[in-house]
Amino acid sequence: MAERGIDKQEEKKSYGSVFLIGIALLVVLTGWSFWDDNITRRPWKAMQARFYHLDYGKAKAAYDEENKKLQADAAYQELSKKLAAAQASLSGGALGQKLASLEKQESAATVRFNDIDQEVKNIKSELEEAWYEHDHAVQQKRNVKPYLERIKELDKEKEKLDPELEKARQKRELIKEEIKTIRNSAKEIEIELGKLAAERDKWVRVMENVTLKLGPFSFYKIPKIEQVSLDEFDRNNFDQPVARVDRCQTCHLAINRPGFEKEANPFKTHPKREIFLGDNAHPPGKFGCTGCHEGQGVAVNSAKHAHGEVHLWEFPLLRGAKSQSSCTSCHLDVQKFETEAPLLAQGQRLFEQIGCTGCHLVKGYENLPKIAPSLRKISAKVDPSWMVRWIENPHKFRPRARMPNFDLKQDDAVAIAAFLWSLAKEEGDKWAQEHPLPAGFREGNAGQVAKGKKLVETIGCKGCHGLAEGEFSTPLGKEKDLVPNLKDIASKTSAQWTYHWIRNPRGYSPDTNMPSLRLTDDEAMAMTNYLMTLGAKPEAMAGIEEKLADAKNIKRGETLVRRWGCYGCHEIKGLEKESRIGAELTTFGSKPKEELFFGNRTDIKETWDDWTYNKLKTPRIYATERIEQLMPQFNLADDDIKALRVLLGGFRERKVGQRYQADQGLRVQQVVDGRRIMQQYNCVGCHEIEKRGGFIRKYYKENPNLAPPVLNGQGEKVQSNWFFNFLKAPIPIRPWLEARMPTFGLSDEHANQLVSYFNGLAKVDIPYAYVDDKKIPQEHLEAARVLVSKDYFNCFSCHQQGERKPEGPVEGWAPDLALARQRLNPKWIIKWLQDPQKVEPGTKMPSFYPGGPDNILGGKDDRQIEALRDYLMSIGRGAPAAVTAEVAKAKPARR
Amino acid sequence: MNKFGFLFLSAALVTLPVRGMAAYEGGDVKDGGSISGAVKFKGSAPAPKKLDVSKDKEVCAKTSKTDPSLIVNGGNLVNAVVTITDIKKGKKIELKKVTLDQNGCEYKPHVLAFPAGTTVEILNPDGILHNVHSYSKVNSPFNQAQPKFKKTLNVKIEKPEAIELKCDVHGWMQGWLVATESPYFAVTDSSGNFKLTDVPAGSYTVEVWHEKLGKSSQKVTVKAKEEAKVTFEVAGK
Repeated sequence: MAERGIDKQEEKKSYGSVFLIGIALLVVLTGWSFWDDNITRRPWKAMQARFYHLDYGKAKAAYDEENKKLQADAAYQELSKKLAAAQASLSGGALGQKLASLEKQESAATVRFNDIDQEVKNIKSELEEAWYEHDHAVQQKRNVKPYLERIKELDKEKEKLDPELEKARQKRELIKEEIKTIRNSAKEIEIELGKLAAERDKWVRVMENVTLKLGPFSFYKIPKIEQVSLDEFDRNNFDQPVARVDRCQTCHLAINRPGFEKEANPFKTHPKREIFLGDNAHPPGKFGCTGCHEGQGVAVNSAKHAHGEVHLWEFPLLRGAKSQSSCTSCHLDVQKFETEAPLLAQGQRLFEQIGCTGCHLVKGYENLPKIAPSLRKISAKVDPSWMVRWIENPHKFRPRARMPNFDLKQDDAVAIAAFLWSLAKEEGDKWAQEHPLPAGFREGNAGQVAKGKKLVETIGCKGCHGLAEGEFSTPLGKEKDLVPNLKDIASKTSAQWTYHWIRNPRGYSPDTNMPSLRLTDDEAMAMTNYLMTLGAKPEAMAGIEEKLADAKNIKRGETLVRRWGCYGCHEIKGLEKESRIGAELTTFGSKPKEELFFGNRTDIKETWDDWTYNKLKTPRIYATERIEQLMPQFNLADDDIKALRVLLGGFRERKVGQRYQADQGLRVQQVVDGRRIMQQYNCVGCHEIEKRGGFIRKYYKENPNLAPPVLNGQGEKVQSNWFFNFLKAPIPIRPWLEARMPTFGLSDEHANQLVSYFNGLAKVDIPYAYVDDKKIPQEHLEAARVLVSKDYFNCFSCHQQGERKPEGPVEGWAPDLALARQRLNPKWIIKWLQDPQKVEPGTKMPSFYPGGPDNILGGKDDRQIEALRDYLMSIGRGAPAAVTAEVAKAKPARR
Repeated sequence: MNKFGFLFLSAALVTLPVRGMAAYEGGDVKDGGSISGAVKFKGSAPAPKKLDVSKDKEVCAKTSKTDPSLIVNGGNLVNAVVTITDIKKGKKIELKKVTLDQNGCEYKPHVLAFPAGTTVEILNPDGILHNVHSYSKVNSPFNQAQPKFKKTLNVKIEKPEAIELKCDVHGWMQGWLVATESPYFAVTDSSGNFKLTDVPAGSYTVEVWHEKLGKSSQKVTVKAKEEAKVTFEVAGK
């Protein structure tokens, strides 16, 4: 009978299989969870393992190679043998025994020293106690005598022990020293060997770096996330600084390591690593990667996520040159990075100079001058039919013109011309009446034409203007000129206007950038005559005069001018204060693609990059039936569009933390402002500045000495007060040049800004120089007088000195040394005399040093150079501070 | 720079010049042949142009000067440099000091050829200031003043290159230093002839270079102990 509550049958049932299945399931699940956690969901771990493998393999190969070299190196082999011998004698033999006994002695000596030391310490603490008792007795006014006796006793004991302690210490040191000497014989060889093998052994460290040793086994290191935290890099929506976390180097492990230049990404070394990631540039430990390249820095689980190329991530990766957009976040002066960030530099030049700011407001670019000519007196300047055709499509007349094509119908062009003409007529007519052609002008006179041609080609016009098809000086972009090409100038304007314009540009247009070349009447007439042979008078449009005078046209023209925003670039009477018609672009670079209007274009990829590229390429591409677009066609080359896009990408108003910012101090601001002025007047047309420009030099390949001077380092060379005066009223410094430094009619402000610009570039801290004649040693002057003489350096063989002119053709002359006192910086003179070629590569000035004459000032080059400087600073004494433009007008005497 | 960079750079520095130098190997030449001939000038020879000595006349105008940049004598071109451009092995390069004289304000010789690595001694016996301005691109350019007290000036030309020299003090002074890769070079003499000796038997490219007329070359086969005759024809421009 069955017992109550116990089912025997049940007891006999086996659950083994259930447990087995359960355990199996548990094992599988554990395995799966491990797999999922470490492999499926952490793909970067596999990536790191791949890198360790690569790194180890490369290091091993390099190690083997170095090792092979060492094995073949006799010196290394010999040293290794020596070391082995030394080590053998240390472990056995007489030396080994001696070492062993010395070591024993050392430990005995140490024990002895420690014993005595302990005893001394005990006495010291007893002394402390005795003194305490003594002081206590003094305070309680008890008898102190017994205490003093105790102290005396202890002092005696200590005195007895002190020399013993010193003796024990010396003994121990002696033994130690002896052991060291014996051991050193081997150690020195070891160090020598280490030096020889350094090239090899550094690879051991690389291999150790990626491996983990566990007893006899070694594994690749356990992968871990490589994270950089950029504290206070960003700002949140409440304008509080927040950190940015950047884990890019979890996969890009070799980004800052040389030797991986040829690997595929992500294991590739950063291009130009030392320039971009160097310690004084952007060490990745401080700046991370996303600071320049954007992307989703925290993501590590797929390249797509990490690169931020996913839905709703606002800042996708900026690859390669596109990362130049980010420079503006921290750098105020970006044009100095002509080689490091060429697209950005070009983009900014283009943006500032092609007129973008006429229609678009951007912070930091608000105060650029209007780039196009004033239209106040346009009726006195251009042919009316030409004007209509120009407005209709400027690129037809001049494909490389900056003025964009508004794609206007002819009626509209006529209406705009009529409005502009009506505004200008009164002032234009008055100007024309007051500026008749001079009586001596003979249109088409062959002699004048020939003379004019020579002048135009040599006097410096070509520093800015092209005169034939395809000829240009300063390129604004691949397909744009900064300054008009004059090859068809006669079909645009008249001889009368041309004559007065080149004679005195500011007489017609007070704000023009066109400078005066200080032409005489004859020169201006000849040049006008030549220019009027370039191009033919255009065919007049039927009834053009009436059309321009038609009130309906004028009224409609005003509407059109307002609609197209012509006053963004041109000065138009009555419309000077109108505001820009385009959208503000200050934060354009951070616009998410969702905010960009693609119209009905489904063929264009929906990214910021594609939108912007196509907008610049075909400005009205996104127009639809209902939505009109106004931006005109600039016809920019692809490269220029990309350059502009890089600049636009940087319009983000990002507030990067102070510690990440580059220097944006006053000096940098002065360079940026001054460079704008420099570009506005196109100084680089003739002069090389900041290693760029000097475009006119291409016409002087045969004889570069006849080209305008190179101005790299000009700030360091000349004294600021002289430079300021020179810019205001240039004088000929190099009479052998046919090209003239023009008078730009610079305002004090602009001239000052230019001086500050050059000083900023050359990092000149003290722009003034004072020569104290009393402090110039007579000995220097006497020595220098000998040095400059004919028997020595014969300086005046080439250099002019005031009225004293050198022999030979003027092309062989060198600048007037009488100007040095006011013109040159004394510190620069020293540098120049030490090595002229270093200051100005290719200069005619030869090096006189090292190798000055032995018999002057003790044959010391330095002293001779100082003497020459003192001499140069003294010879111009009393010369007038600035020479007026009138002097400059006189042509130098030519042979 | 960390150690990787250093290794990379030093490796680059070590391998580059070695490769350059490996181009020519000097040794003993047994039974060498020679190449000789003349460089003919095709076209009508220009009349020698007189140079205008406009400065330091008391020293420079002692002799009248003609433009040395194109001299044709009896239909042959003077001062052309003949070299074997593709020779890899041959006679030893001997680096002897060569001299360039500025006596009377002109470079003598007008074209001076020597193997790269040679030191050129430049003389100034004129007692006035000259400057020696090199327009080199491969070698580092120099512009040395040579005042009266500096009678000699030494410059070492390290790499093969034809270098134009000018004196900025005396605009008419102009000359050439031609540093060659191999010791097989010759400047055509006053009758336009040249000779290259101790050339191992073989087939070579022989090049003629002239400052005004540029380069032209032809294949020449040299047999042991024999003289190969070559005539170049260079057209005037």
